[in-house]
Amino acid sequence: MEKFSYIGKDMKRIDTASKSTGEALFAADLALPRMLVGKILRSPHAHARIVAIDASRAEKLPGVKAVLTARDTCGDKWGVFKYTQDQQFLPTEKVRYVGEEVAAVAAVDEDTALEALSLIDVAYEPLPAVFTIEDALSPGAPQLHDVYPNNINIHVHINVGDVEKGFAGSHLVREDTFAAPEDSYFQGEPYAVAAQFDHAGNLEIWMPNAGPHLKSKPLSNVLKIPLNKVRVRKITIGGAFGGRSEISPADVICAFLAKKTQRPVKIVYTREENTVCTRQAHSMIARIKTGVDREGRVVARDITCHMDGGAYSSTGPIATSVPFLCMEQAYRMENVRYNGYRVLTNKPIRGMFRTHGRAFACGVDIQLDRLGEALGIDPLTMRLRNARQTGDTTPTKSYVASCGLTETIEKTAKRSRWAEKFGKLPPYHGIGIGCNSVQTGFPMGIRGGSQAFIKLNEDGGVTVITGIVDNGQGNDHMIVQIAAEELGLTPDDIQLITADTEVTPSDPGSYSMCETFIGGNAVRLAAQDVKKKLFRIVAEEFGVGEEDLSAKNRKIFVTKNPEQSISITKAVRMALTRNESISGEGSYWPNVDWKREWVKNPYGQLSETFSFGTVICEVKVDPETGQVEVLEVTASQDVGYALNPKVIEGQFEGGVAMGGQGGMLTEYLQWHEGRVLTPTQLGYLVPLAIDMPKINDIIVETIDPKGPYGAKEAGMSVAMSAAQAYCGAISNAVGIYFHEYPITPDKILKAIEEKKKGDRKE
Amino acid sequence: MSEMKKTAITLNVNNETHDIIAYPNKTLLEALRDDLRLTGTKESCGEGVCGSCTVLLDGAPVRSCLTLAVAVQGKKITTIEGLRVGEKLHPVQEAFVNHHAIQCGFCSPGMILTAYALLKENPTPTETEIRRAISGNICRCTGYAKIVEAIKSLAEEGK
Repeated sequence: MEKFSYIGKDMKRIDTASKSTGEALFAADLALPRMLVGKILRSPHAHARIVAIDASRAEKLPGVKAVLTARDTCGDKWGVFKYTQDQQFLPTEKVRYVGEEVAAVAAVDEDTALEALSLIDVAYEPLPAVFTIEDALSPGAPQLHDVYPNNINIHVHINVGDVEKGFAGSHLVREDTFAAPEDSYFQGEPYAVAAQFDHAGNLEIWMPNAGPHLKSKPLSNVLKIPLNKVRVRKITIGGAFGGRSEISPADVICAFLAKKTQRPVKIVYTREENTVCTRQAHSMIARIKTGVDREGRVVARDITCHMDGGAYSSTGPIATSVPFLCMEQAYRMENVRYNGYRVLTNKPIRGMFRTHGRAFACGVDIQLDRLGEALGIDPLTMRLRNARQTGDTTPTKSYVASCGLTETIEKTAKRSRWAEKFGKLPPYHGIGIGCNSVQTGFPMGIRGGSQAFIKLNEDGGVTVITGIVDNGQGNDHMIVQIAAEELGLTPDDIQLITADTEVTPSDPGSYSMCETFIGGNAVRLAAQDVKKKLFRIVAEEFGVGEEDLSAKNRKIFVTKNPEQSISITKAVRMALTRNESISGEGSYWPNVDWKREWVKNPYGQLSETFSFGTVICEVKVDPETGQVEVLEVTASQDVGYALNPKVIEGQFEGGVAMGGQGGMLTEYLQWHEGRVLTPTQLGYLVPLAIDMPKINDIIVETIDPKGPYGAKEAGMSVAMSAAQAYCGAISNAVGIYFHEYPITPDKILKAIEEKKKGDRKE
Repeated sequence: MSEMKKTAITLNVNNETHDIIAYPNKTLLEALRDDLRLTGTKESCGEGVCGSCTVLLDGAPVRSCLTLAVAVQGKKITTIEGLRVGEKLHPVQEAFVNHHAIQCGFCSPGMILTAYALLKENPTPTETEIRRAISGNICRCTGYAKIVEAIKSLAEEGK
């Protein structure tokens, strides 16, 4: 008999049929009786004092039901951490970026709401503003917040081993600087939120989220109502990519408008609002100094990274740390120093992004290529010599329980025929490699663990109740697969109640790749709890031990004698007539160091396990136009165990599109001072079908000792490796190493020109 | 708005006739979503770039965000809700589900209608023809590989 019925199989996702017919409802699709349209007035200034707000003309406009200003929200401040509470949901004193929320209205229709916004008179006193990291740090620069001197929002300092001694003992040392401007999420779905209050003061609210519990607590705080009155409801979510994790001012504004009007209110963002007023990805300047021995092994590394965080903290401490942490997981480095600075500017707020830190990751990888070239060692060997191994401990003291990085490098190289190609390709053809690693969660305080409940119906079917959220990656299907597998049921027998704070227990959310590992484990434990209870009843009936039983095909049977069986339906009915509880519960609390803190104590077990990935890319560059044609990409990741291989392939392919094709060739925001000039897909070029190369997917399995069935996470390490592979390939094709991203045709032509003139010797 | 007058607009959507009263500047997208509550048609960019709002007009894919409702009276409009036949998914929808061509699903209605129109016009498209045909529809999740596979599977059946 096969080991698993569903786990490890290519299964159709349970959620996609309803998405193919238009039946699946996203937040903007909701319509409730008497629903009003909410709209937000935004700052036209990058930095200004709010002198006065007069909403009286707007209030008098027929059809306007409420106007909201900072008076209503009491100036409460929000922050992910206690020490980063710096953003007011509606600012009382000053605005800090173009697009910041200033006031809002609820009206009977959109036209009226927009007209009302134009009738709100705001008197501003413009203040000098800063738009770059350099300007923000320069002496005498305008300060954004009183509490962050010199506009330094976060400083993460990590120091392990003896870096100076390491450099002194190195055979070769290089120092380079790498930079990239802001990129952006461009989720398919623009942000939308709908809210209503009932007569008892309960709030129901729908919005795209990466964890309903991450939304409900701040809503409870600011609305000053208990948590059990905040019901963040499940809704289909049109992509997150790291960008839907925090409370949004729109959530709070919508809730306040619903309260004030006692009617449902819906706010739907325009594409421009989604780009400017949700989150963006940080721009970054990374200075990296690396010393290696004769064989190319890294002896010491010193990194200083400045990130432009925009106007507020957001997830700043995490964002400032993660690019470094990913790389310290991927590559061995004993003596290492990291200084990460998140700098505040009068630009939109930056948060975590799926491919956060392209300048950082490319810096580490491209510098390895450069060091290797000087030593006569090819990029592949440089990776293999520095690759993290199972059983290692990272510099910041995380034990690595399973690591298949070497296997991903070797398999990717073989599939892409690296040995036949590197250094042997025709002119302007190139091949490059990138590697990275990501966490499966990190210490997230009280919400760091996940719980799940399972209810059995009298016919043997079940309802699984969990806080796991699906942003589009297929988490709902994962829950069904695990429950069906453990209980010996079919996917059709499983119903889900997920991501609803009224019903579902605590869960960290789809944040930092933890849902498979933490949420999946909780569901598995809940299913095992139910199974144990049923087995106890059946064992008694059959006169065998509980351990002698198995469940499959809706039956419980004696493992060694499958003929001796009973249907699960019958077992459930037996339990019911005996008045025995047959609901299940499971909870999983990851083994991480809860004393670890991003700034104060960045040492200890960060995550219980890590994924590892490699991408190799082959390109052809047109020296006349600077255009890059990507010929083929091979992507590989140690996913622990592939619960549903096709889902994982889809994650790899999406990761290559976002991280490599978009991230290294076309994606960046353009600015005029603090204003985004390219807020829509018209100017911000996300990859199209015609742009995408052939992608080979290679799944590597290391069977993590603690992951559900050995699973870790399904594709982030590929997304985080793709940029480096693209960069390496273009650098290899042109014969110049690129340090500024994305690598657009103008940069390529300039490099070719300089190389011809002999200005740049590489 | 005071200079503009509301007017009666008759739309034939998914073989049903609907009368709405609207300003002449109402887009087909707004009419479908707000008046007819056919929310399977999605708005992602609102300026004709992303293809999420694609519907079929006499069988040809158009951006409903750039199409005025008043201008398409007398034409046959097909939205994603009009594709399935009774309880069964249309073969294009089924191929998208079977080949994992759907992740978050926001672009899927527009993408599926574009694929449907392509296959009607050219039942055996090559991979390049498929990629070209769907390059007016942006998907942020899949990298398009599984979408192309799904359409290819139907093209092979068409041979």
